[in-house]
Amino acid sequence: MQRFFLVKLVESAIALWVITLIVFGLTHFSGNPVGALLPDDASPEQVAFLINKLGLDQPIHIQYLRFLGNAVQGDFGLSMKWPGQSAMDVVLSRLPATLTLGGMAMLISVVIAIPLGVASATRKGTIVDSFAQGIALIGQSMPSFWLGIILIWVFAVGLGMFPTSGSGTWAHLVLPAISIAWFQISALTRLTRSAMLEVLDAEYVKLARAKGVSEPIIVWKHALRNAAVVPLTYFGVLAGSVLTGSVVIETVFSWPGLGWTAIEAIKARDFPVVQSVVIVFAVIFILANLLVDLLYAYIDPRIR
Amino acid sequence: MPNIRSVARRTMMACAVSSIVGTAAFAQNVVVAIDPGSAESNLYWETIGGLIPPNMQSLVGNDPETGVYDASGLAESWEHDEDFTRWTFHLKPGAVFSGDWGPVTAEDVVHSVALHTGDDSRLSGIQSLRAATVTADGDHTVHFDLPNPDPDFLFLHAGRAVLVVYSKAQYDAEGLEGYARNPAGSGPFTFVSRDLGNTLKYDVAKDHWSGSSPRYDSLELRFVGEPATRLAMLLAGEADIVSLPRELQPEAEAQGHQTISSAQASVQTAFVLSGLFMDPEGPGAEMGLPWQDVRIREAMNRALDREALIDVLYEGRAEPLVVFSMDPRFDGHVPELARRFEAEYGHDPDRARELLAEADYPGAFANPVIPIAATALGGSPEFGLMAELVQAMFADAGLQTEIREMDWPTLQNARLGFTADFAHPMRNAPVRPNGIGVLASYTEQLSPAYSIGSRELDGMGDRLIETKDLEERAALIRDMFTYVFDNYAHMPIATISAEVVANPQRVAGWTFPGSSSSGFSHFELIETAD
Repeated sequence: MQRFFLVKLVESAIALWVITLIVFGLTHFSGNPVGALLPDDASPEQVAFLINKLGLDQPIHIQYLRFLGNAVQGDFGLSMKWPGQSAMDVVLSRLPATLTLGGMAMLISVVIAIPLGVASATRKGTIVDSFAQGIALIGQSMPSFWLGIILIWVFAVGLGMFPTSGSGTWAHLVLPAISIAWFQISALTRLTRSAMLEVLDAEYVKLARAKGVSEPIIVWKHALRNAAVVPLTYFGVLAGSVLTGSVVIETVFSWPGLGWTAIEAIKARDFPVVQSVVIVFAVIFILANLLVDLLYAYIDPRIR
Repeated sequence: MPNIRSVARRTMMACAVSSIVGTAAFAQNVVVAIDPGSAESNLYWETIGGLIPPNMQSLVGNDPETGVYDASGLAESWEHDEDFTRWTFHLKPGAVFSGDWGPVTAEDVVHSVALHTGDDSRLSGIQSLRAATVTADGDHTVHFDLPNPDPDFLFLHAGRAVLVVYSKAQYDAEGLEGYARNPAGSGPFTFVSRDLGNTLKYDVAKDHWSGSSPRYDSLELRFVGEPATRLAMLLAGEADIVSLPRELQPEAEAQGHQTISSAQASVQTAFVLSGLFMDPEGPGAEMGLPWQDVRIREAMNRALDREALIDVLYEGRAEPLVVFSMDPRFDGHVPELARRFEAEYGHDPDRARELLAEADYPGAFANPVIPIAATALGGSPEFGLMAELVQAMFADAGLQTEIREMDWPTLQNARLGFTADFAHPMRNAPVRPNGIGVLASYTEQLSPAYSIGSRELDGMGDRLIETKDLEERAALIRDMFTYVFDNYAHMPIATISAEVVANPQRVAGWTFPGSSSSGFSHFELIETAD
């Protein structure tokens, strides 16, 4: 188990390094930030000063090595859009809001999707199954930003049950969390359903039924425990997707998190903040998957 | 087509009636939701100056109805020498900073100029202030000595607001951190808090030194990027005033909300051409830009149905523009060009096709395709649609086009690097005095990236910068606009006002001149409803 953990750790470090290469390359090859940071009437001197100040007049490999060296020490440079603040400070100050929203979205996903998937499998072909499939179909077909706007229109403007946007109370969380969660509910419901269908057909389930074990015990204790490996594997993807999926939703709901920060930084070509956001997202994604790998190995010793 | 002024007048009358009906304003928090502005820092010079912080003041103000420079800023009066190279401002003796930071003095102005003109300044229009030598003369007089005559110097201090005055006493005590944390200003509001990029909160300055305070308790500016969300905020009662793209305004109006327009024209829009195209040895020649040929430029102008553009883009609430950056309110306006406009620029696809045939288009051109940049710019949500409509009109006249989708920074980088080879939507906001506008939009003098590469025009620009004679200056500006007009240098489209939509149950009216970059100012004049 220890060796397995070490291997996974090294794999994660390599993935993180590759991500730094990709994010640095993509941000720098998308063009320089001068046009976003300076006004229309900027003089050639202003342009030259800014390029020099940002170090953009250095060869690209020097810029990367400097970026990597600083990044290892946790220094991602100063934000260009939000002057005077370090890029990582901007990101870390927004992280709690995104984690709160993501956590709520994950909670909603799991609380709804697992029972719905189980119910759909145990009542295959019934109206419950059709309902679950319908929910899944809608969730996977509908863009989350559009769903967000519809939810605002119905529940905030129409019914006045929740605020349209912003943050501060639990009520502000509900609509954006549902917008993010719905797609994940769809995926998780379908995965749970298919895993449960497979398990419910297994010999040991038939044996349990023959021995007179009650159906709820069979479903929720014996079958779900074995079927859970599949949704659990997806949990790593879910965690990452929920967080990165917040990018659009945070803009729609004006939620002061990392997603909103990413959009604003991308529009302003604020390289340090974009890089910091992506690295933080990558670390969360990698940690979530590492955790899932370890849990998976713990649950199923053959994986080790 | 409704006239901007008549719309503004009607709006103001409606506001006045509402004010009479609902007389005594009561305490309330006014929430204004707008596009994310360039208000990312409490250090004003670190922004591009899109939004003047409501707690800060510049030396000169604008009359809320006429937009004319007035003494609502920190200076009670000003004068200039004969040749416009020395401007002297006399500060109001009673002006004080919030937070007990003392009176506003000439030293505060000198100190603020030094901060605003540093290397880290990103302010639009700051070059003119950089060239000035600023000296305090006693406590309440400050001189700006300029290297060249500048009759439009007041514009920098009014709507353009390249300088807002910070307290030197606060700086001496707390440094820039003090400004970043809680900047003391002299305006009718006091700073409360900033939630980075999301919200700016202000309290009304009670017993303000000017003798007048806003008739509500506090102001909250919320920066919300998604227009549909801003509309929802208005309809749900979470925001009292929101900025909306014009296509969303009818939806709000149908629910009983009221559109409020700036009292004066706020923005001019045009389709502009890149590549120093009038310089036979410039990058335009190397790139083989078809619009180097004046017949192609005229054909492009003839292809445009401006009435249809205004109907679609601005719901008909705009006036056709005669020359981009020329405005009738300022010296150098050429009324004659408006009279010639229909005959020489009017929508005439047949004439466009004739011109193209005369120019042997596309056969005689190595690269006949006209790239059109479809781009987005905060505060001008119509630019993408404008690009598509213009493309359709060009195609109808026989011009070959291609749409290039690009973000504004990419477009701007191409222009700043003189590698741009496309036509694109452009705006002039705030509407500048004609002398500044013509230099900034067409010559190498103020905004080199937007020069059209005409040596003749640059020569006139040089003379304009040097001249001390107001009549000669006005004549030069007229000549420059006439040159631009005669050469079809750009494709003027419309003059529009800044607009917001307000909840009439909360807001009775708001008179603002539209003279700032964002179009919005004079928050203290928001009239709350009973």
